[in-house]
Amino acid sequence: MVKKPLIVGNTPLIKGVTEAENLHIPDGLITDPLSIAVAVAMWIITLAFLAWAWKKAKDTYPRSITALLAISSAFVFAAQMINFPITFGTSGHLVGGTFLAVLLGPYAAMLSMTIVLLMQAVFFADGGILAFGMNVFNMAIIGGLSFFLIKLLTRGSASSKRFIPSVFVASWLSVTAGAFFTALMISPAFTGGLMVTVPSMLFYHAIIGLGEGAITTALVSSLQQMQPAIMGGLTLLKEKTKL
Amino acid sequence: MKKHSAVIIAIIVFLVVFIPFASSDPDGLERVVENFGVEEQPSFWQGLMPDYKIAAVEDAYVSTLLAGVIGVLLVLLVSLAVERAIAPKNQA
Repeated sequence: MVKKPLIVGNTPLIKGVTEAENLHIPDGLITDPLSIAVAVAMWIITLAFLAWAWKKAKDTYPRSITALLAISSAFVFAAQMINFPITFGTSGHLVGGTFLAVLLGPYAAMLSMTIVLLMQAVFFADGGILAFGMNVFNMAIIGGLSFFLIKLLTRGSASSKRFIPSVFVASWLSVTAGAFFTALMISPAFTGGLMVTVPSMLFYHAIIGLGEGAITTALVSSLQQMQPAIMGGLTLLKEKTKL
Repeated sequence: MKKHSAVIIAIIVFLVVFIPFASSDPDGLERVVENFGVEEQPSFWQGLMPDYKIAAVEDAYVSTLLAGVIGVLLVLLVSLAVERAIAPKNQA
């Protein structure tokens, strides 16, 4: 979390790479009683969502392609390591929630992103343990739910002309909505509270979201052309996905 | 299986190529924390490879690359297990 410059000899080097953080709340921000209570509540809410996602994924997961979930999770993990500069000396990285949702459908996408976040928290201390419920909600659950926005906007057809624009909108919104909830959850740590965290998180992530939208649409449209068979989540678009 | 290995190798090549170009600027959340001067408390859990680095490897690039590759493999293993659990008929 804390970025220390690397010291090589006597020369501090600017770190060339950075952590995935972005929307990953560290435990260092969860210290006051209110934050801890919210963190515990989010663990419970998130576990309920994941239990639902697990059950639904078992019913709906496309079985035609092997290891799709595993490979897409691995890709999202790698992509989250690479921060791209936005403006104002700030960076962002792909979250990949909407990308996973298009590929795997909403439920398996939630599970996939949860695995990525779990490995990040446990092995790389990227995102807290206490804050894990919050982080799963803001990225995995919201990312998975963005599937339903695409379904709504395209009326469930991946061949719709509106498909790629919908993917863009859903990716942007998933990051911005994630940032909004992150802002709510970290607000107790800030003197100004919500009035400070909500506008500033929304400001940076509305821009980072454009990068998310651009990368996600580029990935989805090239996969759609090269490997239409692996677009497993798309088949769910056509079916009546009941909540 | 061949196809899978090819994609996994592609993911690792992606890290090899892009790690040097990754931005070291603070990200959105860190920027907000910095802007408003919030003190982040030290966390009780430091992870095994904090900051995507392997402490024993001195070279920053190699250290992060190795941490990244280990991360990719860990994510692959756990998600393969989950995938087998949700799609048990899919054993081909």
